[in-house]
Amino acid sequence: MSATPTVSTAPARPGTGSSSAADVVRLDPNRHVPGVRQPGFAQVLHAEWVKFWTVRSTRWSLGLLFLLGAGLTTLVCWAAASDLAAGDTGEAPAAFLTWGLLFSQLTALALGTLVVTSEYGTGMIRATVTAVPRRGRVVAAKAVVLTVVLFVAGVVTAVAGYLGGNWFLDREGVGLALSDDGVLRALLGNGLYLAGLGVFALATGLLIRHTAAALTVGMALVLVVGNVAYALPGTWGEWVAKLLPGNAGGAVAQVAPFNGGAVLAPWTGFGVFAAEVAALLLVAVLVFRRRDA
Amino acid sequence: MIVARGLTKTYGPRTAVDHLSFTVEPGRVTGFLGPNGAGKSTTMRMILGLDRPTSGSVTVNGRSYAASPAPLREVGALLEARALHPGRSARDHLRWLAASNGIPRTRIDEVLDLVGLEAVAEQRVGRFSLGMGQRLGIAVALLGDPPVVVLDEPVNGLDPEGIRWVRNLARELAGQGRTVLVSSHLMSEMALTADHLIVVGRGRMLADCSMADFITEHASSYVRVRSPRVSDAEALLRGQGLDVDRLDDQLRVRGRNAAEIGELLGGAGLYVHELALVQSSLEDAFMTLTADSVEYATHPAETAGAVR
Ligand SMILES: Nc1ncnc2c1ncn2[C@@H]1O[C@H](COP(=O)(O)OP(=O)(O)OP(=O)(O)O)[C@@H](O)[C@H]1O
Ligand SMILES: [Mg+2]
Repeated sequence: MSATPTVSTAPARPGTGSSSAADVVRLDPNRHVPGVRQPGFAQVLHAEWVKFWTVRSTRWSLGLLFLLGAGLTTLVCWAAASDLAAGDTGEAPAAFLTWGLLFSQLTALALGTLVVTSEYGTGMIRATVTAVPRRGRVVAAKAVVLTVVLFVAGVVTAVAGYLGGNWFLDREGVGLALSDDGVLRALLGNGLYLAGLGVFALATGLLIRHTAAALTVGMALVLVVGNVAYALPGTWGEWVAKLLPGNAGGAVAQVAPFNGGAVLAPWTGFGVFAAEVAALLLVAVLVFRRRDA
Repeated sequence: MIVARGLTKTYGPRTAVDHLSFTVEPGRVTGFLGPNGAGKSTTMRMILGLDRPTSGSVTVNGRSYAASPAPLREVGALLEARALHPGRSARDHLRWLAASNGIPRTRIDEVLDLVGLEAVAEQRVGRFSLGMGQRLGIAVALLGDPPVVVLDEPVNGLDPEGIRWVRNLARELAGQGRTVLVSSHLMSEMALTADHLIVVGRGRMLADCSMADFITEHASSYVRVRSPRVSDAEALLRGQGLDVDRLDDQLRVRGRNAAEIGELLGGAGLYVHELALVQSSLEDAFMTLTADSVEYATHPAETAGAVR
């Protein structure tokens, strides 16, 4: 075994042919692979898009989102149609047209959480941050991907749920037309609300970094705390409840709210929700930029 | 070229990297050595902008890693821990990486071919063996054809053929004029790969020198002498100003070669039963150098029997 350092015998690439061997060989400037020299946000977005669609959990979550959202709405409308027509439920039939949202929002939360916690869980985050050291860009790209996908998925799911559910309501004569008050808004609102939830979950995921913990916190904040808050006393309590993200954002996605807690007007609520999500995302980005990956 | 100045990282009360200053020059393989927990991986993570130095700085080609517009074209890195999603295929993993730095897709096939993973490119990486994962990591490092390559324990989990392949690859990359930093805790492996050594222990710099200097300085050799009149032989050699250690009936002599020592003893009429040059291995040299800074020492029982 020779331990003396040997001069590399590896042939330098064409163009580097400095024959004075031992010394440093100049690296051929044309060696570089072609492509974009100064990649920007578009490249990061493309990368996140590829990442998003190349794991199984994406398709699972989106499939589930559609099934729960459209399927449950249809099912519940079928089951409740005659009671609704008879006025036995005490609820407006319109409230049932987005019934599945109660569950489909869980999958949006899961999807948003996993987009980042799965990277922490597997160590992928280190590859991500070495490829794109500008961490704000990474988060922005993830948020755009989630927003686009969940908006489309939310609208498609809501439209399918409306078509399915309304078919049963129509049979009992309590159906709503697309042109009726709030119907179109709710269909679009489903997309907006789910997209917002996805980004909300992205932010909690970034802050918490563990899938199970982040999921629990996200769901608890949106669902449990949102409902429990209605038990708070006085107008103060009512305001807290109204401003909680799930309650504030949910209104825009429903044709009509269920009876019970007071909610903000749909667009006001969504404005509040969007501001909350933006603030949380900002905090998450600041923390993410400071932290070791 | 990688330049670190006063690089320091503390995790709570523990100092993982302690004021390291070094320069990794292009055109040669620099071995980054140290026992477990010495701070090699931490240093590499700081080079890549993953961990923020507590103090000090490190630059790659004159700027911090994060300032590079397309870092994968600047620095290729293989990290210690796996940094990929097990559910994604090797090709898809390379696809998003290539996309992020504007690297054309054709390059993906090139690197897959280079590391010999074409056949399993569509398989989910969760099913990969340790060695296949390591190869994929190297493919990632080479994706942007970077002038600087940082490999953390690249031979970890590779078979002998793979180890030789990595060794040749590192030497070839350096031969092309690239900057190559390779960490390991295996001195014997480094001896074959590296031209230059940076040795750390408990986060501190222990040596920063060429492999040749390291050998002369740390890999000691001596002549073993056995003689029936060992005390006389000892006195004689000491009288000649040589450095002599006595172990039972054996002498360890430094300062002259075996022939000269034999002649000295013969000239004095002393019988010699054994006269042998003993060259301590680089492994030993490394062990001696880092002995004080080994944090996770094994108990003697585990190595008993190996040397006696
Ligand atoms: N994220 C972290 N949090 C706390 N301590 C850490 C962290 N990363 C590393 N350390 C500590 O820093 C020290 C240096 O670790 P590092 O992984 O850099 O060593 P190493 O030289 O790569 O060791 P090995 O040869 O085992 O890979 C160790 O004591 C380790 O426990
Ligand atoms: Mg390490």
